[in-house]
Amino acid sequence: MSIALATSAAFLFTACGGSSDGAGANDEAGEPLIVYTNSDSEGRGEWLQAEAEAEGFDIEIVGAGGADATNKLIAERNNPIADVVFGLNNVYYEQLKSEDVLEPYTPAWSGEVDETLADPDDDKAYWPLVQQAIVLTYNEDAVSEAPEDWPDLWTDDRYSDRYERASSMAGATTQLVMAGILSRYQDENGDLGVSDEGWQQIEQYFQNGVPAEKDVDLFARFAEGDVDLGQMPSSSIPGREEAYDVTAGVVSPEVGVPYAVEQVAVVRGSDNQDTAKEFIDWFGSGDVQGRWAAEFDALPVNEVALEQAPPEVIEFNEQFTRQDIDYGFVQENLDSWVEKIELEYMP
Amino acid sequence: MIRFDNIKVVFDDVTAISELDLDVSEGEFFTLLGPSGCGKTTALRTLSGLVSPTSGDIYIDGRAVTTLPSDKRGVGMVFQNYALFPSMSVRENIAFGLKVRRTSADERRTLVTDIARRVDLSDDQLDKNVADLSGGQQQRVAIARALVLKPKILLLDEPLSNLDAKLRQQLRVELKDLQVQSGITTVYVTHDQDEALTMSDRIAVFNRGRVEQIGTPQEIYEKSATEFVCTFIGDSTKLGPELVSRLTDHSPSRLDPSRLSYLRVEKVLLEDRAGAPTGAQQRDPAGSTVSLEGRIVARSYHGQHSRYTVRSHDSDVKVLVKEIGASTLDIGHPVHLRVDPAHVLQYQATA
Amino acid sequence: MRTRSASRMLRSPLVVVTLIILTWFSAAFLLWPNLNLLAETFFPGGEFTGRAVERLLSSDRAMRSLANSFLLAVVLSITVNVVGIFVVLVTQYFRIRGSRILWLGYATTFLFGGIVLAAGYKFIYGSDGIVTELIAPYFPGLDRDWFSGFFAVLFVMTLASTTNHLLFLGNAIRDVDFQTIEAARNMGASDWTILRRVVLPVLKPTLFAVTILSFLVGLGALSAPQVLGGEDFQTITPIILTFANSSSSRDIAALLALVLGAATIIMLAIMSRLERGGTYHTVARVAAPLQKQRISNPVVNVVVHVVAYVLFVIYISPLVLIFLYSFMDSASISAGVLSPDRFTLENYTRVLSQGSVLRPFIVSIVYSGLSAIITVGGLLFVTRIIQKYRTGLTTTFEYLLHIPWILPAAMIALGLVMTYDEPSPLLGGAVLSGTTVILLVAFVVVKIPFTLRMLKAAFSSVNESMEEAATIMGAGALYTFRRILLPAVLPTAAAIAALNFNSQLDDYDTAVFLAHPLYQPLGLQIKANTEGGADVNAVANTFVYTVLLMIVMGLTMYLVYGRGSRRGRKKRRSAVTAPTEPAPDAPVVPTNAGEAHPALGATSEVNPPPPVASGSTRQ
Repeated sequence: MSIALATSAAFLFTACGGSSDGAGANDEAGEPLIVYTNSDSEGRGEWLQAEAEAEGFDIEIVGAGGADATNKLIAERNNPIADVVFGLNNVYYEQLKSEDVLEPYTPAWSGEVDETLADPDDDKAYWPLVQQAIVLTYNEDAVSEAPEDWPDLWTDDRYSDRYERASSMAGATTQLVMAGILSRYQDENGDLGVSDEGWQQIEQYFQNGVPAEKDVDLFARFAEGDVDLGQMPSSSIPGREEAYDVTAGVVSPEVGVPYAVEQVAVVRGSDNQDTAKEFIDWFGSGDVQGRWAAEFDALPVNEVALEQAPPEVIEFNEQFTRQDIDYGFVQENLDSWVEKIELEYMP
Repeated sequence: MIRFDNIKVVFDDVTAISELDLDVSEGEFFTLLGPSGCGKTTALRTLSGLVSPTSGDIYIDGRAVTTLPSDKRGVGMVFQNYALFPSMSVRENIAFGLKVRRTSADERRTLVTDIARRVDLSDDQLDKNVADLSGGQQQRVAIARALVLKPKILLLDEPLSNLDAKLRQQLRVELKDLQVQSGITTVYVTHDQDEALTMSDRIAVFNRGRVEQIGTPQEIYEKSATEFVCTFIGDSTKLGPELVSRLTDHSPSRLDPSRLSYLRVEKVLLEDRAGAPTGAQQRDPAGSTVSLEGRIVARSYHGQHSRYTVRSHDSDVKVLVKEIGASTLDIGHPVHLRVDPAHVLQYQATA
Repeated sequence: MRTRSASRMLRSPLVVVTLIILTWFSAAFLLWPNLNLLAETFFPGGEFTGRAVERLLSSDRAMRSLANSFLLAVVLSITVNVVGIFVVLVTQYFRIRGSRILWLGYATTFLFGGIVLAAGYKFIYGSDGIVTELIAPYFPGLDRDWFSGFFAVLFVMTLASTTNHLLFLGNAIRDVDFQTIEAARNMGASDWTILRRVVLPVLKPTLFAVTILSFLVGLGALSAPQVLGGEDFQTITPIILTFANSSSSRDIAALLALVLGAATIIMLAIMSRLERGGTYHTVARVAAPLQKQRISNPVVNVVVHVVAYVLFVIYISPLVLIFLYSFMDSASISAGVLSPDRFTLENYTRVLSQGSVLRPFIVSIVYSGLSAIITVGGLLFVTRIIQKYRTGLTTTFEYLLHIPWILPAAMIALGLVMTYDEPSPLLGGAVLSGTTVILLVAFVVVKIPFTLRMLKAAFSSVNESMEEAATIMGAGALYTFRRILLPAVLPTAAAIAALNFNSQLDDYDTAVFLAHPLYQPLGLQIKANTEGGADVNAVANTFVYTVLLMIVMGLTMYLVYGRGSRRGRKKRRSAVTAPTEPAPDAPVVPTNAGEAHPALGATSEVNPPPPVASGSTRQ
């Protein structure tokens, strides 16, 4: 039976057309580069695929939510499928690094980015691509008086049952929102480093919100009148306003907003290390990042690319202050927070 | 030729054969007869090597074969359900053993054709699927398949039990002819006493894992050694002590009323009170018979013969009367039974 | 004679090799992953911890989902019985006009089950579903999400689970001795009394079995609650899935899986207890074949007819709609428009010509095909050994091979993931997580008990003397196996392989835990397509998948049944000449979900194999 298994495995690889690394450790040339990302929606995946192909990279994009992608990478750590991972925020990368998933690499464009946004270690494993604020946005036509900060949503009756709350904890944006709230209530004696008051906030958040619907865009629900407020990465707002014909306002709390710095890294132990590095050199370069930014209203970290980024995007982002979050604390506790929220606060 | 020496076979907790000693001579048609579960098939399977005896030895041609695998014993076997391979044609079935023995294709063809002719299988039947043959034809294939390997011994396990009555009669004759012609030593298992009596040179009657009697058909029938053999073979009436005493009173004989007494149905003469025999029965010329009074209590008509049950003393005596179309006796009719005490079989009562 | 000593068994090299492989396989894939799951849950790092239990007990959501699962299991057992018994009576027992057509309609769930059924209903009745679109204008107050939650899950799962009734109860009711019904009528019993006092009691063991089965199906439900349950009706298995994906929370997933496993084992134990209590064997030597009963009360007759046809429409409507809409363009599908002038083959062209769209279908076919071949091929040898040599060793293996039957698929999957995400000496240092092999392993493991049972029955029905005859003629063990036994069991083996293939073609429950990200089988794709509408073609694609699936499955079913009946005829003829043999009809039972639990083993084998120790009972 073992022989049968082995041959069938071989059969599977060949039968499915695409030759993958799969179980085998064969270092064949011509295998596609496997790219994990949470940033493949709204045409990003297709765009990247096409651009990469034009550049001679044969890539295969596997999309998953930030938490899912991280979990997948950790689960596959002994037998990595992915060659490159990009798009997750620094919290996940920190987690990936501590699980030994990433291969340190200094890309060609390292001098063009703000090093403080990259891996804080000397042996840098991940490097920043774009950054964006994770904000509370609202439909200006429906909300007469905007809230000042997240807690207003559940303390002020006007917003009760009018804001969209998360229905899954798997997304990077959601987790950053939670981290932004919980880290305000850091308390050594509290459960998982957070005071009871902090957890009450989370409870309230879930009790008073309208659950998000999978794959139904927040702005679509604005347009429908389902909900009036919700979370959104800043770079996604301008395009959506246009697409759904909604005028969106953003809340800029005094305490600041969490920033997601999306990174890129090589996955350790994969078969295409060299190609992976070449791909990162290309993808993170000022030119490609600039076009990416222009295409998807992103705020690139790369200084060269920043010149190509749409001015309104840069301007839009300038209105926010950075929330001072202890990312070490967040990274240490995030998994447990998510588990606790899933078990105790999610309905 | 074949010798079972103190064979004992135990399956798990069940003793199939408790102690078996048998000798079968060369060229003999030897039958193992008995009811279901008596151990006769196990004995056959032990001989063929399909069952290993728990103790004891089996000899073929003076050589101990107890541990020899079955294909090295020179036996051919025909199974009750024929065990033909449904995935093969008739020809392939017959040639199976030859092929295993790596006989050349030419020789195979010749041997198969020869044996097929001997068992009356036509050429086009040879190329059919076994499932397309009738039961009788399947039987022939099974025999051919066993014989084609030229075994020294042919083992037949109830080979006729799956056939209808008429075919069974016919194949009985054919099978016996085949055996006589080839002179092959044959061990035959059956529960059918008619088969055993008509075909066998000698019979071993099995009961509960033991042999009750070994002998020629005539010995088995006429001089049944045990009560079991007596009741298993033929048809007889168990006589009550009072009736046995009456028989003893009338003629000084060896009968002992305290023992179990049996009388075969065809050994009784039935007369009406006037003394005229009924049916085709002949008065015993020796005149050593005893006459008993009785009254008919049941009667059944069977065409060739009739069976009467006559109440006489403490016994309901069954009588078989050959029909010749004469007047029949009604229930309640008073009759005489004429019995030769020498025909009464007696056995020691067991505890 | 089957009782052979272990030493004799070990003399054959073939047996030894098979046993070595079997030992390894059982240890590596049946025992260790599940034990490891236990260990990881309660003894992470070698020390006992109740963390998972505490976390779970403090979670309202987890407790609620547990309660929901049990609620679903209990209610489902009732609804499935009500609908299932009705369906069986209407098609097999009562004289109903067009009962053959009705049967075909009710039997559609053979081909149309699991994730496909759930997805199908969502596309038809969901908030953006075709029917919802059509009726919304007429019911202004309609909640577009009317088909969701407990009701929707129960509804869909009830329909899906009645296949077991059709199969097993249908078989059982055909075996009811018609003369007992005639006798009851002769003594003046009414239709209802006959049904209640004569027919149903005979079916009791089968009813028990299908009830337990429904219960277990409800308990382990994954696809239906995921697609249709919504946030208001969450059940255990989807939650297991949520936590299984996070490496730090897997102990909670494992604990939930253990709860499911324990519940399953308890239910099976209860059932075997009940089964021992009340089995009615037909006393008649020759049971008269069942004749259909006319319902004498005209009102009842009309009502039963109406209900039967309403059910029929419910059963086939999603299928018919999916078939019709698979020929409509995407715009028509989302608007719910069905008109001949919008007819198009574009959906089929897209699915069949675009590699990326067709790919899940191919992946599924390859996985199911391999799994079927490996399972049946490997078990042919194993079953043969288990059946031929009755020793303590083989009996132990037989029990081990039944392990997958008592564990939910989620637990098996989780065990594999958690055990083989690091190099294991059991696999020569290989890692299974993240490979394409792990799903194949799970596919094989899940199918072992069913295959083993069916193959064993097939081997038992082979005339034992054939093998002995071959031995006497000098054929070796391997030669006999190859030339005599294999041809005899091959038709059955092929049928089992086909059924396994069918049942795994639309697998979702295993794949969702184990699938390789680049080789996602169809079930996952269909599930993904039910989630909101980024891609308008997704729905159309799913419709085409569904139609293609049913064509493939229908084809294999036809092969199975076509073969089966041809074989049956031939066998019956040879059975006439050899009446001492047990009826050789191999008890091949098609199961869409492949959920033939041991529960059904006892009842599904209409002609149970002869007692194993026949050698010792012969004369």
